[in-house]
Order: sequence, then C-alpha cells, then structure tokens
Amino acid sequence: MFHFPAWINAVLRGSFFIIPAFICYAGWLLMTATAPETTHIGYAPEQPVPFSHKLHAGKLKMDCRYCHTTVETSAHASIPPTQTCINCHSPADGNGAVSLTAVHSKSTQLNEIFKSWANDTPVKWKRVHDLPDFVQFNHSAHVTRGVSCVSCHDRIDQMDVVSQNHTLSMKSCLECHRNPEPHLRPLDKVTDMDWVPPKPAAEIGALIKDHMNIKANQNCSTCHY
Amino acid sequence: MSLLDQQPNSKPYWRSLDELADKPAFQDWMSREFPTAASELPDNLSRRRWLQLMGASLSLGGIAGCRWEAEEIAPFTVRPQNRTPGEKQYFSTMWELNGVARPLTVTSIDGRPIKIEGNKQHSASRGATSAFDQALILSMYDPDRSTGLVERVRKELVPRTWDEFDRVLKRRLATHANRNGSGLALIKEPSSSPTQLRLLEAFARKFPNAIVCEVNAGDDGSQAALKNVFEVDGRIALDVSKAKVIACFDADPFGKHPDSLRIVRDWSDRREPDGDWMNRLYCFESNLSLTGSNADHRVPTKSSDVLSMLQQLERAIAADEASDPGDDAPGGQRVLAALAEDLLKHRGESILIAGSQQPAAVHELVLRINHRLENFGSTLNAVASEKSQSVGVAKLLGAIAAKKVETLVVLDANPAFGTQYSPAFVSAMKTVPFSLHVGTHRDETARLCRWHVPMAHVLESWMDGRSFDGTVTVGQPLIDPLFAGRSVSELLAGMLGLKAEPRELIRETLTSLDGRFRNDKQWRRAIHDGFASGLGVPEEANLGDAQAATTGAPFAGSVQPRPPAEVEVVLSLSGATHDGRLANNGWLQETPDAISKLTWGNAAVMSPATAKSLGVSHGQVVRIEANGRSVDLPAFELPGVAKNSVQLALGYGRTAAGHVGGLVDEGIDPVGVDVSVLLPEDGSRVLTNVTLTPTGEKRDLATTQDHFAIDAAGLEAIGARIGELIRTGTLSEYEEHPDFAQHRGPHHPPLESLWEEKSYDGHAWGMAVDLNRCIGCNACMVACQSENNVPIVGKDQVLGGREMHWIRMDRYFSGDPEEPEVAHQPVACHHCENAPCEQVCPVAATVHSDEGLNDMVYNRCIGTRYCANNCPYKVRRFNFLDYNAPLEEPQNELVQLVINPEVTVRSRGVMEKCTYCVQRIQDVKIDAKNERRSITDGEVQTACQTACPAQAIVFGDLNDSESQVAKRHADNRAYGMLSELNTKPRTKYLAKVRNPHPWLEVERHDDHGHGGVNEEQTHAAVSPQKSQPAADLLPISGGGH
Repeated sequence: MFHFPAWINAVLRGSFFIIPAFICYAGWLLMTATAPETTHIGYAPEQPVPFSHKLHAGKLKMDCRYCHTTVETSAHASIPPTQTCINCHSPADGNGAVSLTAVHSKSTQLNEIFKSWANDTPVKWKRVHDLPDFVQFNHSAHVTRGVSCVSCHDRIDQMDVVSQNHTLSMKSCLECHRNPEPHLRPLDKVTDMDWVPPKPAAEIGALIKDHMNIKANQNCSTCHY
Repeated sequence: MSLLDQQPNSKPYWRSLDELADKPAFQDWMSREFPTAASELPDNLSRRRWLQLMGASLSLGGIAGCRWEAEEIAPFTVRPQNRTPGEKQYFSTMWELNGVARPLTVTSIDGRPIKIEGNKQHSASRGATSAFDQALILSMYDPDRSTGLVERVRKELVPRTWDEFDRVLKRRLATHANRNGSGLALIKEPSSSPTQLRLLEAFARKFPNAIVCEVNAGDDGSQAALKNVFEVDGRIALDVSKAKVIACFDADPFGKHPDSLRIVRDWSDRREPDGDWMNRLYCFESNLSLTGSNADHRVPTKSSDVLSMLQQLERAIAADEASDPGDDAPGGQRVLAALAEDLLKHRGESILIAGSQQPAAVHELVLRINHRLENFGSTLNAVASEKSQSVGVAKLLGAIAAKKVETLVVLDANPAFGTQYSPAFVSAMKTVPFSLHVGTHRDETARLCRWHVPMAHVLESWMDGRSFDGTVTVGQPLIDPLFAGRSVSELLAGMLGLKAEPRELIRETLTSLDGRFRNDKQWRRAIHDGFASGLGVPEEANLGDAQAATTGAPFAGSVQPRPPAEVEVVLSLSGATHDGRLANNGWLQETPDAISKLTWGNAAVMSPATAKSLGVSHGQVVRIEANGRSVDLPAFELPGVAKNSVQLALGYGRTAAGHVGGLVDEGIDPVGVDVSVLLPEDGSRVLTNVTLTPTGEKRDLATTQDHFAIDAAGLEAIGARIGELIRTGTLSEYEEHPDFAQHRGPHHPPLESLWEEKSYDGHAWGMAVDLNRCIGCNACMVACQSENNVPIVGKDQVLGGREMHWIRMDRYFSGDPEEPEVAHQPVACHHCENAPCEQVCPVAATVHSDEGLNDMVYNRCIGTRYCANNCPYKVRRFNFLDYNAPLEEPQNELVQLVINPEVTVRSRGVMEKCTYCVQRIQDVKIDAKNERRSITDGEVQTACQTACPAQAIVFGDLNDSESQVAKRHADNRAYGMLSELNTKPRTKYLAKVRNPHPWLEVERHDDHGHGGVNEEQTHAAVSPQKSQPAADLLPISGGGH
C-alpha cells in the first residue's frame, strides 16, 4: 500500500503560500501588461514648440493636410518642415521689420522655429504615436479608403498638447480590420474631426466598403514583413 | 525496381563528389535538418564567454522591454522638391570596373542609398546587375573606409586637413611644373571617363615629362590582338543575339567579361526552345567556368593546349570540310569536328571568343577564324576606343630605380597588391621622396605612401564613363561624401589648378562632346537617364586592309600540344573579390562561388583525377612552386576541371583590406592566400613550369555544396514517390515530347488533400524560374541579401552550415566526374499552398495569407525549428546567433545604414526565409489602390528577378491568366519541385533543354540505350559512363567535411 512520505506535508504547507503568491504574480503581470503606462495611453510629451492643435485645427479650422501633406500619398503623414510654420509665422528680418501678413513674429514661444529657420537645423519634435519597428503602417492606404484621422489619433483638434488616447496595440488594429464599417467615412470627411454620421456609422461604412471594394486584410504579412 | 529503371531518359544529378560516392560526410549533412554542430554552441566560443554574451543580451532585452524608446522626428527646414519622407526615390548613376562604365539605378530612402539595380534604359544593363554591382552598396557603408587625410611623419600618422594638403601638393607640383613635369609620376587604373581623359590630356600638356602609368587588373584580352592583326585601337563588341554557334576558348563571357550582362541576356533570349532557333554553346576550357557550366558541349582542355586546338580548328575551317570522326575519336576531337561543322554551316552567324588569360597568339587566331567565317560586322564588331597614353609599370619602376621620380601620385589604385609588379613596387616605394595615395581605404599601397587622402565612393561622386558599347554614361552622387572625400576627376582638376565644381567638370566634358548639353534641359535629361542618349555610339573600326592578311593561308607555324602529364597552373580573377578590391565586402566573400560553392577563401581547384595523381585529397594542402616562389593552398576537388590543370583565384590574401578581408596590423588574418606571387614578370596567367607537392597539412574549406541537400541520394528508398529535382532534356527530345519534364517523376495516384483546400480569389502570387535561362551567376543571391537584410555569418558559421542566404543556388553535376554536365537551380521558399512547415509550427508563426504567401511572423517564432525540419525544400534559415548584433557596435554605426528600412531585422532564435519580397508586393498594392487601378503584370518585381541578367525569374499573379508567370506555369516544360508530395508549390521550374550537336547527341542516346542499369550504377556505385573502371574513380572523392 502506498503512503505519502512525510516530507509531502512540508510541500503541502509550502504550497499554501506558493499558489496564492503565483496567482498574485499572474494578476500583477496582467495588470501591468495592460496598464496605460505600458500601452502608452496618456503619453503627452512636452514638445520643443508648444504647438496647439486645438488652436490650429480646432479653432482656426485648418485642414490636417495643410501641414501633413504626404498623408494621402505615402506611409508617413510627415511632420511639416519648418518652412510650413514660417508661411504664417515669419520672423522679423535683420532690420527688425516684420511682414504685414506675419503672425506672432516676435513670440518667444516660437523661438525654436525661428532658430531652426535661421540656422537651417531641424526642430526635434517628440514622436507621440509610435508603432513598434516590426509593424508597417501606411497612412495613405487608410486615409484614401475613408478611415478618418480620429479613428487612431482621437480628437486632435481638441488637444493643446497631443497625447496618445488609443492603445495602438495589435488588438486595436485587428478590431478595425475585422469590422471596418463603423470607421469608414466619405472621403471628403476624413479630416473633418467633428463629423457626425447622418445615419448609423456602420450603415454608411457598409456602403462605402462595398463601393470602394475595401478588403481590410488580416494576413500577418499585411503589417509584418 | 528503382526509380531510375522506370525513367530511362533521366540522368542522375549530384551536387558533390561526396554525394556521388555517398560518403559518410555527405550522409551526415543529409540526415540532419541542420548539420552537425549547427545546433551546438560554436567551438571557438568558451562557455564563460557565451554566458557573458547571453547576459549582455538579456539585460539589454530587459531594459528595452520596460520602456518604449522615445523617438524624435527631425523634419527638414525646407523639404527638397519631390522628397517624401520614408518614400523611395530612384536615381541613375554608374560605377567603373576595369575601365568600363556600369550603369546603375540606385534606390534611396530619406536620402540614404539602400539598394542597387541596373539601369533599365541603358543598353549595357537593361535592368540587370551582377553580384559585384549589387554589393557596391555595402562597400559604400564599409566601416573600414578611410575617414580623413593622414601624413606619415617619422612613422607617426598625423591627421591633416584638405587645406594643408592642397598647400603641400600645390607647392610640390609647382616645382615639377617648372621642370616640365620631370620627377612627377602618376599611377591610376584605366578609365573610360571622358572627363578623366580630358584632364589627363591637360595634365600631359602641363607636365609633358611626367610619367602616367595605368595598372589594369583585367580586360577581355582582345585589344592587343586587334592591334596586332588589324592595326586598330579598339575592342571587340559581341552581339550574341545573332550567333547560332558560340565557341569559347578558355573564355568566360558570362562571368568575367566586362560586357557580361548584355551577353547573358542576348544568349538567354535565344534559349527558348519554342523560338525560331536556339543557339549552341561550345566551351574548351581548363577551369569549369560559369560559361562552361552552361555549355551544350564542354571539353576540359588545358589552358596551354588551347592554341594547338584552335590551330586544328583553323585547318578544318580553311579546308572547308568537317566530318564526323566517329565514336572512337579521342578526347575532344569529336566535339571539335562538330564545332567545325557547325561553324562552316553558320558562316556569319557564329562567334569565337578567347579568354583574357590566353596569350596574344590565341586572340589573334580567334580573330582570324572569326574573320574567315565572316563574323565581323555580323556577330562581332571591332569598336574603336581611345588610345591609352600611359606607359607600362615596368617603365615607371625603372624610373623610380633611377631616382628620377620625386613625387608619386597613386590615384585610386593598389599596385602594391596582387600584380606581378607588386613585390618590386613595394621595395621601390621606399625610395620615393614624396608619395601620395588617393583611395577609399588605407590599403597596402596607402600604407607605403607618405600621404593618404580619402577618395569619395562612387555613389558619392559625379562621374562619367563609357559602357562597353561606348555609350557615354553619367553618374550623379546619391549622397554627399561621408568622409569629405574627393573623386578622381576632382583631384586631377585640383592638380591642374582648375577650380571647377565636380558637377561642372562632367558637364564641360559632355558639352565638349556635344554642344546640346549647354542646354539645361538636355543636361538634366542626361543626368536623369544616366546616359547621354545619342552620344558615343561607337565608331566601327575600319578593318579594310587587313583583309588580305587574314584570308590567306592558315596560320603557318604549328604548335604541338603540351605533354598531357605536365601540370599547369592557371590564375584568374576571383568571382568574389575580383582582383582583391572587393575583398572587404562580406556579402561577396560569403556568396558561394558559382561552381565550387566555396566561400571565404580560395583553393587549388583541380579535378579528382589530378588530385589523385598529385597525391592529395579535398582539403589537403598542396605547395605550388613557380618562378622561384611558392604558396600553400588546400586542394579542392572539382569535377570538370581539365586534367593536370590547377586553378587558382587571384584577389585573396589581402593584408590591409579591412576587418572583413584581412587587416594584419590589427591581427585579422587575410582571407585566402595571395597567389599573385606566382605571376611571372610578363604577367602571363597560365604557368606551365610548376611543381606541386602535398604538405600533409589539412585545412577547412567552407563550401556549401552539400548544405541543405535534398535527399536525392536516398532515391532508392523514396524514388517511388518523388520525381527529379532538376529536369533536363535535349532539344530533339523536347520537339518529340514537349512535355518530357512531366514524365521525369514516378506515376502516382491523383493527389488529394486531407482537408478542404483554400481557394484564392484575389491575387495568387507565384514565381517561375526558367532553368534554360538561369546561368547560376549569383546576382540574385546578393540582390536578395541586400533587399532583405540577410546577415553575414562568417567562415566558421558557414562551415557549420549556418549560412543565411534566402536563395541557394544548387549546382548539379551529372555523368563522368572528369567531364560532367552541369545544371544550376536557384531554390528559395516555394510558398507551397499546402505548406508542410505551417502544419508543424506549434505557435502559428508561419501561416498562409489570402494571396498564397507563406508568411513568417518573426515575433511569434519561438525557434523550435520544426518548420525547417518539415520543409522538403530546405529553404528555411535559423538565426542560431544574433548575427546582426555586430551592427550595434559603435564602430559599425556606418554599416547600419545599409539596412533596408522596409524589412524587419531578425534577431537570434528566429526562423526566416524568402518572403517573395512581400514588402515590394505591399508597396505596389498600396500604390495601385491609392490610385484606384488594378496592378499590371510585371509591376511587382522581386529583388532576385530585377537583378537577373538572364531574365530567368518571373513573378506575378497566377490568377491573371495573361500574366507572364501564369503563362510560364502553363508551359510544357513547367514542373513543380517535389510536387508529388502535394505541397502545391507556387514556384515552378521550366526544365532545361540542351541543344547538342546531332553527332554528339547520338552518342548520348547510346549511353541511355544501355539503359537504367548503367545509370543506376552511375548513381550508386560511381561508375562513369566513359568506360573507365569504377574502381579507378571510387577513392578520388575528397574528405569533404
């Protein structure tokens, strides 16, 4: 007849501590893995120039594509060159004269821009929405199919300081790729931040999907190569 | 009953002598998914060191995992026109090799050149590249490039600035100018650049007494002969597209000819068995060259016997008759007779080509025969070229010895290495008071010179040159010089006191050639296209008076063949390092040689019979003595090399190439052995007065010929299930049975899948490789390496079978090991619809896409290697170590820039393989969708496809029945490798169809007539077809691994 050896008792007593400890560890792991710090939600670094999207895109109703010119044709939306800022914010010339159309030509907040313009050095912006390097994301492929900026970047037009409000995890990509309809808009509304669909979004999206023959692929090689 | 019995027409193919003899070494390679030691720690790494490495990677991994790395974005102040961040841009440019311009199109992302392709519009490239062209990009980011000016002052290297240099040089040149240039000498490589020629003329005017000397690594050898026979300065341009018969005498027009890209394309366009006619290629050569491996008839002939063979041919041609000497004729006599018959039948439609290592007499004879056959003006043209003003190196050395040279300028040349003059040059340099070296590296010559100044890489310079056909080609810089180097033209202009911008120098030249380049639009067009259209269409040389000299009596003196037992040594340029200038390029060092599959070094390549008679076997060192000097090299037994001919590759043994190719000063051993010391003073590359003795030592040869071999050796057992991997036939066979390739496998019941098969409605990507076109040149391998960030692993890792190339180029032999037939077959992932790898991956790291791609998900892969184990094609590569780790070392910051940003860099423990260049597919798909159009056929081009000079690879959508790839898949010759396993491969091969001469084909039928029994013996017990006793051949095979 089999008898458990006596040392099993010690193991049993030990397991009272070890098992709950492991469960706690697993729980902690899960929590940290999904915590906003890990997924970067709320990441809003201070930029070298306090550029406000709320002012430019929101209040002044400037189109996103005024600055992010390549969003419809290339992978990157592109941070604009200093020249784009200078279009309106041209600094005072050597004699201190200011162009009539210039805005905030002497603002100290624009110092970095002026410095960049004078010295031909780049302004070093902090990247907010950062995908891992093994993911290939192409802005043009989405924007030209009716996926709005809002879908990933949220209401940029209401942010003084840009922050990341979506996880940008593979889950969020796949959710949309599996069910793209609610995220599709007429092409002329893509950069319209406060567009409200006249009908349920999914219904409109379905029409657009059908019309534009949109196939949101879920192959691994759609994004990873 | 064996497979071979069932297929009387098939020929057994083998990859190495070990495989042929089924030696244990081969069995060991065969039976393991990855070879011995591939799964173990590297020997030379102690356990302690290993733990250190592991610890370091773990801690780094830990830190990186905790926190997202904050990135900065630094946009332009003013974005340049047409520049989109992260988008590719293409620029035409060129580089020069041996005085011939090679047109390129370079891909640049964010101002960083990352990939080289051929210039599609340029007649000398038509989009194709060689492996050398492809690897140029890695040379540009070589961390060993010299970074600044240095002057040697009492054995100390003192950094200098360009201003200081300009002052010193100006002062020196001024004193020479006062003496009409006496005491000044210039060494450079030959160049076709009109700008350089113009500046050199000005140089000669300013310094009339200066010595200008050119060192040449290799031309096609025809210049001197053309001068002797026809008294014209020029070279021979070949038009293979019109040649029905091509005969090469120790020549390698596919490999080492400066115009090889055009030749290969023209040749392969005439290898369509359905076309009007197919050309026929004869080769008489000592080495088994790339061309020889593609020949319809190849006769291993000692290089020293080529002349007597040609004389025999000339006599036959002069007599205007050729008859079949019959079966009993010795050696190559029958092939020679067949060639004569073919040549006489195709007057004006044939080409004879002589190899560059052959003496002038051979070239002259070849010109005479070509002329007699009325080939001039049809298949070949004598093209006028500029007369070289330079003197020979010997004269320069004489002047140095006579103390007549006070200032020596070496412009982008390395005469201290690899030429017959090198030893004399090295000692002469010590007596030159002022020497200056201009080059991209501090090479052997730079180390002898007092000054060294960095030269701009070709991708950093404005250039011009003439391609082999004479087209004036223009090269623009892709990037500013990384280390403030200057180009050769810029330096020459500086020496003349001209203050022109490099761009203006080129424009002035073009304007002087044709006034229309004063027009900005025309000039910009030339830069955009990469060549000046309509300019430099070569003048045909006038051969008029020479007619009489060559149509008369055949060549009078008769040369007797050398005694057969005499051993000759033939030196030729390396297919990996050229003359050594590319020795520091890891891609080229690691690309297996087209024939021997040897990487990282050179060897004494000889046939098994030669090795036996010398008493050495594979890997055993043999000492070669000639001209009072000797080198020790391991023997490499290669079937097909002429008996008693030993082949050595130049361009190895660099002592100051860099951290890859050898840097003795820093304790890095040279790669391979410098065999140039054997060169006699006249530079002849065929040595007959040599002694070879085995030393008893043994060295490792990092050859990949048995790596990833598919188990055809076990055909006996599995023969009933699978067909031949490589399928070949003859033209007459094809005409009789166009679908012969389909019957090279066993009959099997209809293939059925266990589960319901996926259907593909959208795109179905597929590839077709025409084995009739593929010449095995390796351009695709290097193109793939460049495009897909395939790492370099080094010699030790290659020895362990860990090379990472996504494409391997299988080279098969069949028949007699002394006179084998050869076939090349590139093998990459087949993207099986029914992929065996996918079914065994426990973590779904390799899965199928909707378009039929076999996706590899690096992030999921946990490195079980089950997939590689289950892949019947053996195309999966495992990162046993972090091969990209060196990229992160600070001294390698520069080489990081070569990485293609569109392809993930893989880490340790991850499986990888060919992706069908999925990044290119996605690029095209997104562009097409953005523009709301469908993808046109040929729009998606894989990296291997664009590089291929023979257009052997076609890629596209199989669902589009009009696409090229779908048509090739439907071709009679198309077969799927191992498709009997129901893998449904997306890559199909088109069987190779040889075009033998009718006289010689009969003989082969006879061989087959002896039927399966004979062939089975050939396979299992190594019995050659040519009536030699089997026992004689059994022990020849080398020890291998």
